[in-house]
Amino acid sequence: MKKTGFLYDERYLRHDTSPNHPESPERLKAIYQGIKDADLLPKLTLIQARRAELKWIETVHSKNYIKRFEAACHSGDSTFDYPDNQICAETFETALLAVGGILDAVRLVMTGKLDNVFCAVRPPGHHAEYEGALGFCYFNNIAIAARYLQIEWGIQRVGIVDFDVHHGNGTQHIFEEDPTVFYYSIHQHPTFAFPGTGRVFETGNGEGIGTTRNYPVLPGQGDKEYQGLVERDLVPVLSAFSPEVILVSAGFDAHVDDDMSDIHLSTQGYSRLMQRIVALAALYSDGRLISVLEGGYCIERLPELAANHVEILLNA
Amino acid sequence: MFISKIMTKNAVTIDINADISQAREIMSENKFRHLPVVDESNFLIGIVTDRDIRSVSPSSHISGDMGMETLKRFSGIKIKDIMIKNPVALSPLDTLQDALILLQKERFGAFPVIDEQKKLIGIVSVRDILREFINVLGLEEPGTLLCIIAENKLGQMKKIVDAITEEHVSFGSVLVARYWEKGKRAIFPYLLTQNIAPLKRKLKNMGYTILDPMDWYMDHLPQND
Repeated sequence: MKKTGFLYDERYLRHDTSPNHPESPERLKAIYQGIKDADLLPKLTLIQARRAELKWIETVHSKNYIKRFEAACHSGDSTFDYPDNQICAETFETALLAVGGILDAVRLVMTGKLDNVFCAVRPPGHHAEYEGALGFCYFNNIAIAARYLQIEWGIQRVGIVDFDVHHGNGTQHIFEEDPTVFYYSIHQHPTFAFPGTGRVFETGNGEGIGTTRNYPVLPGQGDKEYQGLVERDLVPVLSAFSPEVILVSAGFDAHVDDDMSDIHLSTQGYSRLMQRIVALAALYSDGRLISVLEGGYCIERLPELAANHVEILLNA
Repeated sequence: MFISKIMTKNAVTIDINADISQAREIMSENKFRHLPVVDESNFLIGIVTDRDIRSVSPSSHISGDMGMETLKRFSGIKIKDIMIKNPVALSPLDTLQDALILLQKERFGAFPVIDEQKKLIGIVSVRDILREFINVLGLEEPGTLLCIIAENKLGQMKKIVDAITEEHVSFGSVLVARYWEKGKRAIFPYLLTQNIAPLKRKLKNMGYTILDPMDWYMDHLPQND
Protein backbone atom coordinates (compact mmCIF):
# COMPACT_ATOMS: atom_id res chain seq x y z
CA MET A 1 0.00 0.00 0.00
CA LYS A 2 1.20 3.49 -0.87
CA LYS A 3 1.91 6.28 1.57
CA THR A 4 -1.02 8.50 0.68
CA GLY A 5 -1.66 11.91 2.18
CA PHE A 6 -5.03 13.55 2.67
CA LEU A 7 -5.10 17.32 2.97
CA TYR A 8 -8.21 18.39 4.84
CA ASP A 9 -8.84 21.13 7.36
CA GLU A 10 -12.03 22.49 8.87
CA ARG A 11 -10.71 25.96 8.18
CA TYR A 12 -11.50 25.26 4.51
CA LEU A 13 -15.17 25.45 5.50
CA ARG A 14 -14.83 29.10 6.46
CA HIS A 15 -15.06 30.33 2.88
CA ASP A 16 -18.79 31.10 3.06
CA THR A 17 -20.43 31.41 -0.36
CA SER A 18 -23.92 32.17 1.04
CA PRO A 19 -26.83 29.72 0.98
CA ASN A 20 -27.74 27.91 -2.24
CA HIS A 21 -24.34 28.45 -3.81
CA PRO A 22 -23.13 25.21 -5.40
CA GLU A 23 -19.52 25.69 -4.26
CA SER A 24 -20.48 25.15 -0.63
CA PRO A 25 -18.69 23.94 2.51
CA GLU A 26 -21.07 20.95 2.35
CA ARG A 27 -18.98 19.63 -0.54
CA LEU A 28 -15.92 19.20 1.66
CA LYS A 29 -17.95 17.76 4.52
CA ALA A 30 -19.39 15.17 2.12
CA ILE A 31 -15.90 14.30 0.85
CA TYR A 32 -14.52 13.92 4.38
CA GLN A 33 -17.50 11.85 5.47
CA GLY A 34 -17.20 9.58 2.44
CA ILE A 35 -13.54 8.87 3.15
CA LYS A 36 -14.28 8.35 6.84
CA ASP A 37 -17.23 6.02 6.20
CA ALA A 38 -15.11 3.91 3.87
CA ASP A 39 -12.70 3.38 6.82
CA LEU A 40 -9.88 4.95 4.87
CA LEU A 41 -8.83 7.60 7.39
CA PRO A 42 -6.56 5.29 9.42
CA LYS A 43 -4.65 4.42 6.24
CA LEU A 44 -4.03 8.04 5.32
CA THR A 45 -1.56 10.64 6.53
CA LEU A 46 -3.62 13.67 7.43
CA ILE A 47 -2.10 16.96 6.30
CA GLN A 48 -3.29 20.21 7.83
CA ALA A 49 -3.69 23.54 6.16
CA ARG A 50 -0.98 26.11 6.47
CA ARG A 51 -0.81 29.65 5.24
CA ALA A 52 1.05 30.06 1.93
CA GLU A 53 3.75 32.69 1.67
CA LEU A 54 2.71 35.45 -0.71
CA LYS A 55 5.86 34.91 -2.77
CA TRP A 56 4.35 31.65 -4.05
CA ILE A 57 1.03 33.23 -4.94
CA GLU A 58 3.02 35.88 -6.83
CA THR A 59 4.53 33.22 -9.10
CA VAL A 60 1.10 33.01 -10.77
CA HIS A 61 -0.90 36.15 -9.89
CA SER A 62 -0.05 39.85 -10.07
CA LYS A 63 0.61 41.69 -6.82
CA ASN A 64 -2.13 44.08 -7.75
CA TYR A 65 -4.65 41.26 -8.14
CA ILE A 66 -3.70 39.75 -4.79
CA LYS A 67 -4.16 43.14 -3.11
CA ARG A 68 -7.45 43.70 -4.86
CA PHE A 69 -8.73 40.28 -3.74
CA GLU A 70 -7.64 40.83 -0.14
CA ALA A 71 -9.25 44.27 -0.06
CA ALA A 72 -12.53 42.95 -1.47
CA CYS A 73 -12.74 40.25 1.21
CA HIS A 74 -12.06 42.73 4.00
CA SER A 75 -14.40 45.38 2.61
CA GLY A 76 -17.54 43.35 3.23
CA ASP A 77 -18.26 42.87 -0.48
CA SER A 78 -20.17 39.68 -1.18
CA THR A 79 -18.83 39.09 -4.70
CA PHE A 80 -15.50 39.55 -6.47
CA ASP A 81 -15.00 40.20 -10.22
CA TYR A 82 -18.14 38.23 -11.21
CA PRO A 83 -21.46 37.67 -9.39
CA ASP A 84 -20.61 33.92 -9.39
CA ASN A 85 -17.66 34.52 -7.11
CA GLN A 86 -19.20 34.79 -3.67
CA ILE A 87 -16.77 35.92 -0.98
CA CYS A 88 -16.79 36.61 2.74
CA ALA A 89 -14.31 38.16 5.17
CA GLU A 90 -12.54 34.77 5.50
CA THR A 91 -12.19 33.99 1.80
CA PHE A 92 -8.74 35.51 1.30
CA GLU A 93 -7.32 33.69 4.31
CA THR A 94 -8.98 30.40 3.28
CA ALA A 95 -7.55 30.71 -0.22
CA LEU A 96 -4.06 31.20 1.28
CA LEU A 97 -4.60 28.14 3.48
CA ALA A 98 -5.58 26.09 0.44
CA VAL A 99 -2.41 26.99 -1.44
CA GLY A 100 -0.22 26.53 1.65
CA GLY A 101 -1.66 23.08 2.32
CA ILE A 102 -1.09 22.01 -1.27
CA LEU A 103 2.52 23.25 -1.28
CA ASP A 104 3.11 21.29 1.91
CA ALA A 105 1.62 18.21 0.23
CA VAL A 106 4.00 18.72 -2.71
CA ARG A 107 6.94 19.06 -0.28
CA LEU A 108 6.00 15.80 1.47
CA VAL A 109 5.89 13.99 -1.86
CA MET A 110 9.15 15.52 -3.10
CA THR A 111 10.98 14.57 0.11
CA GLY A 112 9.71 11.01 -0.22
CA LYS A 113 7.67 11.10 2.97
CA LEU A 114 4.55 10.44 0.90
CA ASP A 115 3.91 8.85 -2.49
CA ASN A 116 0.80 10.76 -3.42
CA VAL A 117 -1.81 13.08 -1.91
CA PHE A 118 -5.43 14.07 -2.34
CA CYS A 119 -5.95 17.73 -1.43
CA ALA A 120 -9.58 18.40 -0.47
CA VAL A 121 -9.41 22.18 -0.52
CA ARG A 122 -11.70 25.14 -1.05
CA PRO A 123 -11.87 27.45 -2.87
CA PRO A 124 -11.05 25.67 -6.13
CA GLY A 125 -8.50 27.19 -8.53
CA HIS A 126 -8.32 26.20 -12.19
CA HIS A 127 -10.43 29.10 -13.57
CA ALA A 128 -8.37 31.78 -11.77
CA GLU A 129 -6.29 33.87 -14.17
CA TYR A 130 -3.11 35.88 -13.61
CA GLU A 131 -5.23 38.97 -13.12
CA GLY A 132 -8.76 37.80 -12.33
CA ALA A 133 -11.09 35.54 -10.38
CA LEU A 134 -13.55 33.38 -12.30
CA GLY A 135 -15.89 30.44 -11.81
CA PHE A 136 -15.63 30.29 -7.99
CA CYS A 137 -11.80 30.34 -8.21
CA TYR A 138 -9.45 32.99 -6.72
CA PHE A 139 -5.92 31.56 -6.56
CA ASN A 140 -4.93 29.00 -9.16
CA ASN A 141 -3.90 26.26 -6.73
CA ILE A 142 -2.63 23.77 -9.28
CA ALA A 143 -0.67 26.39 -11.22
CA ILE A 144 1.05 27.59 -8.05
CA ALA A 145 1.89 23.97 -7.19
CA ALA A 146 3.47 23.56 -10.64
CA ARG A 147 5.53 26.75 -10.22
CA TYR A 148 6.63 25.58 -6.76
CA LEU A 149 7.76 22.27 -8.28
CA GLN A 150 9.77 24.14 -10.89
CA ILE A 151 11.34 26.75 -8.62
CA GLU A 152 11.81 24.95 -5.31
CA TRP A 153 12.38 21.41 -6.57
CA GLY A 154 13.92 21.99 -10.01
CA ILE A 155 11.35 19.86 -11.79
CA GLN A 156 11.76 20.15 -15.58
CA ARG A 157 8.53 18.51 -16.73
CA VAL A 158 5.26 18.88 -14.86
CA GLY A 159 2.17 17.10 -16.21
CA ILE A 160 -1.22 18.53 -15.27
CA VAL A 161 -4.30 16.44 -15.98
CA ASP A 162 -7.55 18.35 -15.52
CA PHE A 163 -10.72 16.23 -15.62
CA ASP A 164 -13.07 18.81 -14.16
CA VAL A 165 -16.04 19.05 -16.54
CA HIS A 166 -15.20 22.72 -17.15
CA HIS A 167 -12.08 23.80 -18.99
CA GLY A 168 -9.31 25.14 -16.75
CA ASN A 169 -8.84 28.39 -18.65
CA GLY A 170 -6.62 29.87 -15.95
CA THR A 171 -4.19 26.96 -15.86
CA GLN A 172 -4.02 26.84 -19.65
CA HIS A 173 -3.33 30.54 -20.00
CA ILE A 174 -0.68 30.56 -17.28
CA PHE A 175 1.32 27.77 -18.95
CA GLU A 176 0.44 28.10 -22.63
CA GLU A 177 3.91 29.45 -23.49
CA ASP A 178 5.75 27.12 -21.12
CA PRO A 179 6.97 23.91 -22.77
CA THR A 180 7.95 22.44 -19.38
CA VAL A 181 4.36 22.18 -18.13
CA PHE A 182 1.96 19.96 -20.06
CA TYR A 183 -1.66 20.94 -19.54
CA TYR A 184 -4.09 18.20 -20.59
CA SER A 185 -7.79 18.90 -20.11
CA ILE A 186 -10.87 16.77 -20.70
CA HIS A 187 -14.08 18.79 -20.41
CA GLN A 188 -17.54 19.36 -21.81
CA HIS A 189 -17.30 21.04 -25.23
CA PRO A 190 -16.92 24.82 -24.73
CA THR A 191 -19.90 25.65 -26.93
CA PHE A 192 -22.09 23.89 -24.37
CA ALA A 193 -20.31 24.67 -21.12
CA PHE A 194 -18.62 27.34 -19.06
CA PRO A 195 -16.25 29.10 -19.57
CA GLY A 196 -16.22 28.74 -23.38
CA THR A 197 -12.52 27.97 -23.84
CA GLY A 198 -10.63 24.72 -24.36
CA ARG A 199 -11.27 24.09 -28.02
CA VAL A 200 -9.28 21.40 -29.84
CA PHE A 201 -7.23 23.97 -31.73
CA GLU A 202 -5.97 25.64 -28.53
CA THR A 203 -2.62 23.87 -28.35
CA GLY A 204 -0.34 26.43 -26.72
CA ASN A 205 1.55 29.50 -27.91
CA GLY A 206 5.13 30.33 -28.81
CA GLU A 207 7.56 27.90 -27.24
CA GLY A 208 4.64 26.16 -25.56
CA ILE A 209 3.02 24.97 -28.78
CA GLY A 210 2.24 21.30 -28.30
CA THR A 211 2.21 21.22 -24.51
CA THR A 212 -1.42 22.26 -24.16
CA ARG A 213 -4.01 19.71 -25.15
CA ASN A 214 -7.78 20.00 -24.99
CA TYR A 215 -10.16 17.13 -25.40
CA PRO A 216 -13.76 18.40 -25.47
CA VAL A 217 -16.50 15.85 -24.77
CA LEU A 218 -20.02 16.30 -26.15
CA PRO A 219 -23.18 16.55 -24.04
CA GLY A 220 -24.54 13.11 -23.22
CA GLN A 221 -21.19 11.35 -23.63
CA GLY A 222 -19.74 9.39 -20.74
CA ASP A 223 -17.80 6.27 -19.77
CA LYS A 224 -17.32 4.82 -23.24
CA GLU A 225 -16.01 8.06 -24.75
CA TYR A 226 -13.78 8.81 -21.76
CA GLN A 227 -12.27 5.35 -21.86
CA GLY A 228 -11.66 5.69 -25.59
CA LEU A 229 -9.99 9.07 -25.36
CA VAL A 230 -7.84 8.01 -22.43
CA GLU A 231 -6.43 5.01 -24.29
CA ARG A 232 -6.20 6.69 -27.67
CA ASP A 233 -4.95 10.10 -26.60
CA LEU A 234 -4.22 10.84 -22.95
CA VAL A 235 -1.95 7.85 -22.35
CA PRO A 236 0.21 8.19 -25.49
CA VAL A 237 0.40 11.98 -25.23
CA LEU A 238 1.47 12.05 -21.59
CA SER A 239 3.80 9.10 -22.11
CA ALA A 240 5.57 11.04 -24.83
CA PHE A 241 5.95 14.02 -22.49
CA SER A 242 7.08 11.79 -19.61
CA PRO A 243 6.27 14.11 -16.66
CA GLU A 244 8.47 13.95 -13.57
CA VAL A 245 5.46 14.74 -11.38
CA ILE A 246 1.75 14.55 -12.19
CA LEU A 247 -0.71 17.09 -10.82
CA VAL A 248 -4.41 16.35 -11.12
CA SER A 249 -7.15 18.98 -11.23
CA ALA A 250 -9.81 16.67 -9.82
CA GLY A 251 -13.28 17.92 -10.62
CA PHE A 252 -16.13 15.51 -10.00
CA ASP A 253 -18.76 17.49 -11.88
CA ALA A 254 -18.71 15.29 -14.99
CA HIS A 255 -20.69 12.73 -12.98
CA VAL A 256 -24.05 11.87 -14.51
CA ASP A 257 -25.86 12.98 -11.34
CA ASP A 258 -24.12 16.37 -11.19
CA ASP A 259 -26.46 18.92 -12.74
CA MET A 260 -23.68 21.44 -13.46
CA SER A 261 -22.96 19.60 -16.71
CA ASP A 262 -24.48 17.36 -19.37
CA ILE A 263 -21.71 14.75 -19.19
CA HIS A 264 -22.68 11.24 -18.11
CA LEU A 265 -19.58 9.84 -16.45
CA SER A 266 -20.44 7.16 -13.87
CA THR A 267 -18.77 6.54 -10.53
CA GLN A 268 -16.98 3.56 -12.10
CA GLY A 269 -16.03 5.71 -15.08
CA TYR A 270 -14.33 8.15 -12.71
CA SER A 271 -12.45 5.30 -11.05
CA ARG A 272 -11.21 3.92 -14.36
CA LEU A 273 -10.02 7.37 -15.42
CA MET A 274 -8.11 7.91 -12.18
CA GLN A 275 -6.59 4.40 -12.34
CA ARG A 276 -5.10 5.21 -15.74
CA ILE A 277 -3.65 8.50 -14.51
CA VAL A 278 -2.17 6.81 -11.46
CA ALA A 279 -0.66 4.12 -13.73
CA LEU A 280 0.97 6.87 -15.81
CA ALA A 281 2.45 8.36 -12.63
CA ALA A 282 3.85 4.95 -11.70
CA LEU A 283 5.45 4.58 -15.14
CA TYR A 284 6.93 8.04 -15.61
CA SER A 285 6.83 9.99 -12.37
CA ASP A 286 8.04 7.50 -9.79
CA GLY A 287 4.45 7.45 -8.55
CA ARG A 288 4.58 11.13 -7.58
CA LEU A 289 1.07 12.51 -7.94
CA ILE A 290 -0.73 15.35 -6.19
CA SER A 291 -4.45 15.56 -6.80
CA VAL A 292 -6.24 18.82 -6.01
CA LEU A 293 -10.00 19.22 -5.75
CA GLU A 294 -11.64 21.55 -8.27
CA GLY A 295 -15.41 21.27 -8.89
CA GLY A 296 -17.99 18.58 -8.15
CA TYR A 297 -21.30 19.70 -6.74
CA CYS A 298 -23.48 16.61 -6.27
CA ILE A 299 -23.46 16.23 -2.49
CA GLU A 300 -24.98 12.72 -2.77
CA ARG A 301 -22.21 11.42 -5.04
CA LEU A 302 -19.14 13.22 -3.66
CA PRO A 303 -18.63 10.77 -0.73
CA GLU A 304 -18.26 7.69 -2.96
CA LEU A 305 -16.29 9.59 -5.63
CA ALA A 306 -13.79 10.89 -3.06
CA ALA A 307 -13.49 7.53 -1.28
CA ASN A 308 -12.79 5.73 -4.57
CA HIS A 309 -10.32 8.44 -5.58
CA VAL A 310 -8.33 8.03 -2.37
CA GLU A 311 -8.52 4.24 -2.48
CA ILE A 312 -7.00 4.30 -5.98
CA LEU A 313 -4.14 6.45 -4.64
CA LEU A 314 -3.60 4.00 -1.75
CA ASN A 315 -3.51 1.01 -4.11
CA ALA A 316 -1.40 2.72 -6.75
CA MET B 1 -23.36 49.08 -37.36
CA PHE B 2 -21.81 51.05 -40.20
CA ILE B 3 -19.15 49.78 -42.54
CA SER B 4 -16.98 52.79 -41.66
CA LYS B 5 -16.57 51.31 -38.16
CA ILE B 6 -15.59 47.83 -39.38
CA MET B 7 -13.47 48.48 -42.46
CA THR B 8 -9.71 48.52 -42.67
CA LYS B 9 -8.72 52.10 -43.42
CA ASN B 10 -5.66 52.95 -45.53
CA ALA B 11 -6.07 49.80 -47.58
CA VAL B 12 -3.00 48.71 -49.50
CA THR B 13 -3.64 49.24 -53.22
CA ILE B 14 -1.98 48.53 -56.54
CA ASP B 15 -1.50 50.53 -59.71
CA ILE B 16 -3.34 49.48 -62.85
CA ASN B 17 -0.10 49.22 -64.83
CA ALA B 18 1.79 47.19 -62.25
CA ASP B 19 2.98 43.65 -63.04
CA ILE B 20 0.97 40.90 -61.43
CA SER B 21 4.13 39.56 -59.79
CA GLN B 22 4.12 42.77 -57.74
CA ALA B 23 0.56 42.09 -56.63
CA ARG B 24 1.49 38.56 -55.73
CA GLU B 25 4.33 39.79 -53.55
CA ILE B 26 2.17 42.34 -51.71
CA MET B 27 -0.47 39.71 -51.05
CA SER B 28 1.87 37.07 -49.71
CA GLU B 29 3.73 39.62 -47.55
CA ASN B 30 0.56 40.98 -45.98
CA LYS B 31 -1.55 37.82 -46.14
CA PHE B 32 -4.29 39.59 -48.13
CA ARG B 33 -6.33 38.01 -50.84
CA HIS B 34 -7.77 41.19 -52.35
CA LEU B 35 -6.07 44.31 -53.66
CA PRO B 36 -8.10 47.31 -54.79
CA VAL B 37 -6.81 48.88 -58.01
CA VAL B 38 -6.80 52.68 -58.04
CA ASP B 39 -5.61 55.42 -60.37
CA GLU B 40 -3.27 58.26 -59.40
CA SER B 41 -6.16 60.21 -57.77
CA ASN B 42 -7.18 57.18 -55.69
CA PHE B 43 -10.34 56.52 -57.69
CA LEU B 44 -11.36 52.88 -57.53
CA ILE B 45 -11.14 51.20 -60.90
CA GLY B 46 -10.97 47.56 -60.06
CA ILE B 47 -9.99 44.80 -57.67
CA VAL B 48 -7.58 41.94 -58.11
CA THR B 49 -7.79 38.71 -56.13
CA ASP B 50 -5.24 36.02 -55.41
CA ARG B 51 -7.42 33.62 -57.31
CA ASP B 52 -7.21 35.71 -60.49
CA ILE B 53 -3.44 35.84 -60.16
CA ARG B 54 -3.14 32.13 -59.54
CA SER B 55 -5.25 31.27 -62.56
CA VAL B 56 -2.73 32.99 -64.87
CA SER B 57 0.37 31.91 -62.92
CA PRO B 58 2.61 29.22 -64.37
CA SER B 59 2.40 25.87 -62.70
CA SER B 60 5.26 25.19 -60.32
CA HIS B 61 5.54 21.76 -61.95
CA ILE B 62 6.83 23.20 -65.24
CA SER B 63 10.64 23.29 -65.32
CA GLY B 64 13.54 23.82 -67.69
CA ASP B 65 13.28 25.93 -70.86
CA MET B 66 9.58 25.53 -70.96
CA GLY B 67 9.42 26.92 -67.43
CA MET B 68 11.53 29.96 -68.28
CA GLU B 69 9.36 30.63 -71.31
CA THR B 70 6.15 30.45 -69.29
CA LEU B 71 7.62 32.61 -66.56
CA LYS B 72 8.57 35.28 -69.09
CA ARG B 73 5.08 35.30 -70.50
CA PHE B 74 3.64 35.49 -66.97
CA SER B 75 5.78 38.45 -65.93
CA GLY B 76 4.41 40.45 -68.87
CA ILE B 77 0.85 40.27 -67.57
CA LYS B 78 -0.39 43.53 -66.08
CA ILE B 79 -2.94 44.14 -63.38
CA LYS B 80 -5.30 45.75 -65.91
CA ASP B 81 -5.38 42.43 -67.82
CA ILE B 82 -6.79 40.38 -64.99
CA MET B 83 -8.53 42.80 -62.60
CA ILE B 84 -12.26 42.79 -62.06
CA LYS B 85 -13.49 46.12 -63.39
CA ASN B 86 -16.10 48.13 -61.53
CA PRO B 87 -16.23 45.76 -58.57
CA VAL B 88 -19.12 45.73 -56.15
CA ALA B 89 -18.24 48.34 -53.56
CA LEU B 90 -19.73 49.52 -50.29
CA SER B 91 -20.20 53.01 -48.95
CA PRO B 92 -19.14 53.93 -45.41
CA LEU B 93 -22.79 54.36 -44.52
CA ASP B 94 -23.77 50.89 -45.65
CA THR B 95 -24.25 48.56 -42.70
CA LEU B 96 -22.91 45.26 -41.43
CA GLN B 97 -26.22 43.71 -42.48
CA ASP B 98 -25.83 45.08 -46.03
CA ALA B 99 -22.38 43.53 -46.23
CA LEU B 100 -23.64 40.18 -44.97
CA ILE B 101 -26.40 39.93 -47.53
CA LEU B 102 -24.07 41.09 -50.28
CA LEU B 103 -21.41 38.57 -49.31
CA GLN B 104 -23.86 35.76 -49.71
CA LYS B 105 -25.31 37.15 -52.94
CA GLU B 106 -22.11 38.09 -54.75
CA ARG B 107 -19.78 35.41 -53.41
CA PHE B 108 -16.89 37.81 -52.97
CA GLY B 109 -14.50 37.61 -50.04
CA ALA B 110 -14.02 41.37 -49.67
CA PHE B 111 -15.52 44.67 -50.76
CA PRO B 112 -13.74 47.96 -51.38
CA VAL B 113 -15.32 50.91 -49.58
CA ILE B 114 -15.65 54.16 -51.57
CA ASP B 115 -16.85 57.66 -50.82
CA GLU B 116 -19.36 59.67 -52.91
CA GLN B 117 -16.67 60.58 -55.47
CA LYS B 118 -15.77 56.88 -55.82
CA LYS B 119 -12.45 57.44 -54.09
CA LEU B 120 -11.22 54.43 -52.14
CA ILE B 121 -11.39 54.86 -48.36
CA GLY B 122 -11.07 51.30 -47.11
CA ILE B 123 -11.76 47.60 -47.54
CA VAL B 124 -14.02 45.15 -45.70
CA SER B 125 -13.28 41.44 -45.77
CA VAL B 126 -15.13 38.37 -44.56
CA ARG B 127 -12.65 38.25 -41.69
CA ASP B 128 -13.60 41.76 -40.55
CA ILE B 129 -17.26 40.73 -40.52
CA LEU B 130 -16.61 37.47 -38.68
CA ARG B 131 -14.62 39.36 -36.06
CA GLU B 132 -17.67 41.51 -35.39
CA PHE B 133 -19.82 38.42 -34.96
CA ILE B 134 -17.42 36.80 -32.51
CA ASN B 135 -17.66 40.05 -30.59
CA VAL B 136 -21.46 40.27 -30.82
CA LEU B 137 -21.90 36.66 -29.68
CA GLY B 138 -19.67 37.39 -26.69
CA LEU B 139 -17.50 34.34 -27.48
CA GLU B 140 -14.48 35.84 -25.78
CA GLU B 141 -16.23 36.31 -22.46
CA PRO B 142 -16.60 33.35 -20.12
CA GLY B 143 -20.14 32.08 -19.97
CA THR B 144 -22.66 29.30 -20.61
CA LEU B 145 -25.10 28.94 -23.50
CA LEU B 146 -28.63 27.64 -22.86
CA CYS B 147 -31.45 26.77 -25.23
CA ILE B 148 -34.96 27.45 -24.00
CA ILE B 149 -38.05 26.48 -25.99
CA ALA B 150 -40.83 29.00 -25.47
CA GLU B 151 -44.24 29.58 -26.96
CA ASN B 152 -44.25 32.12 -29.74
CA LYS B 153 -46.37 34.70 -27.97
CA LEU B 154 -45.85 38.12 -26.55
CA GLY B 155 -44.17 38.37 -23.15
CA GLN B 156 -42.24 35.08 -23.10
CA MET B 157 -38.88 36.77 -23.43
CA LYS B 158 -39.69 39.13 -20.57
CA LYS B 159 -40.48 36.21 -18.25
CA ILE B 160 -37.24 34.47 -19.16
CA VAL B 161 -35.16 37.63 -18.77
CA ASP B 162 -36.81 38.34 -15.41
CA ALA B 163 -36.14 34.81 -14.16
CA ILE B 164 -32.48 35.03 -15.16
CA THR B 165 -32.09 38.51 -13.68
CA GLU B 166 -33.60 37.35 -10.37
CA GLU B 167 -30.72 34.88 -10.15
CA HIS B 168 -28.26 37.80 -10.51
CA VAL B 169 -26.97 36.48 -13.81
CA SER B 170 -25.86 38.86 -16.59
CA PHE B 171 -26.41 38.33 -20.29
CA GLY B 172 -23.56 38.04 -22.78
CA SER B 173 -25.91 37.83 -25.77
CA VAL B 174 -29.27 36.41 -26.79
CA LEU B 175 -30.06 34.65 -30.06
CA VAL B 176 -33.57 33.75 -31.12
CA ALA B 177 -34.35 31.00 -33.60
CA ARG B 178 -37.67 32.27 -34.89
CA TYR B 179 -39.02 29.07 -36.37
CA TRP B 180 -38.77 26.01 -34.23
CA GLU B 181 -41.93 24.02 -34.45
CA LYS B 182 -45.43 25.32 -34.87
CA GLY B 183 -46.05 28.06 -32.32
CA LYS B 184 -42.63 27.66 -30.68
CA ARG B 185 -39.34 29.50 -30.83
CA ALA B 186 -35.94 28.64 -29.43
CA ILE B 187 -34.15 31.22 -27.31
CA PHE B 188 -30.40 30.94 -26.78
CA PRO B 189 -29.20 33.19 -23.96
CA TYR B 190 -25.43 33.28 -23.46
CA LEU B 191 -25.08 33.81 -19.72
CA LEU B 192 -22.03 35.10 -17.92
CA THR B 193 -22.04 32.46 -15.22
CA GLN B 194 -20.86 29.00 -14.35
CA ASN B 195 -23.72 28.50 -11.90
CA ILE B 196 -26.25 27.29 -14.43
CA ALA B 197 -27.95 24.43 -12.56
CA PRO B 198 -30.33 26.44 -10.32
CA LEU B 199 -31.34 28.55 -13.30
CA LYS B 200 -32.17 25.48 -15.39
CA ARG B 201 -34.30 24.12 -12.53
CA LYS B 202 -36.10 27.43 -12.18
CA LEU B 203 -36.92 27.69 -15.89
CA LYS B 204 -38.13 24.09 -15.96
CA ASN B 205 -40.41 24.81 -13.01
CA MET B 206 -41.82 27.74 -14.94
CA GLY B 207 -42.85 25.29 -17.66
CA TYR B 208 -40.09 25.94 -20.20
CA THR B 209 -38.24 23.17 -21.97
CA ILE B 210 -34.46 23.30 -21.71
CA LEU B 211 -33.35 21.66 -24.90
CA ASP B 212 -30.66 18.97 -24.88
CA PRO B 213 -27.62 20.54 -26.57
CA MET B 214 -27.39 17.62 -28.98
CA ASP B 215 -30.75 18.73 -30.41
CA TRP B 216 -29.82 22.38 -30.92
CA TYR B 217 -30.56 24.04 -34.23
CA MET B 218 -30.24 27.66 -35.20
CA ASP B 219 -33.45 27.45 -37.14
CA HIS B 220 -35.82 24.86 -38.51
CA LEU B 221 -36.40 26.72 -41.76
CA PRO B 222 -36.15 24.50 -44.83
CA GLN B 223 -32.62 24.65 -46.23
CA ASN B 224 -32.08 26.35 -49.60
CA ASP B 225 -29.73 23.71 -50.90
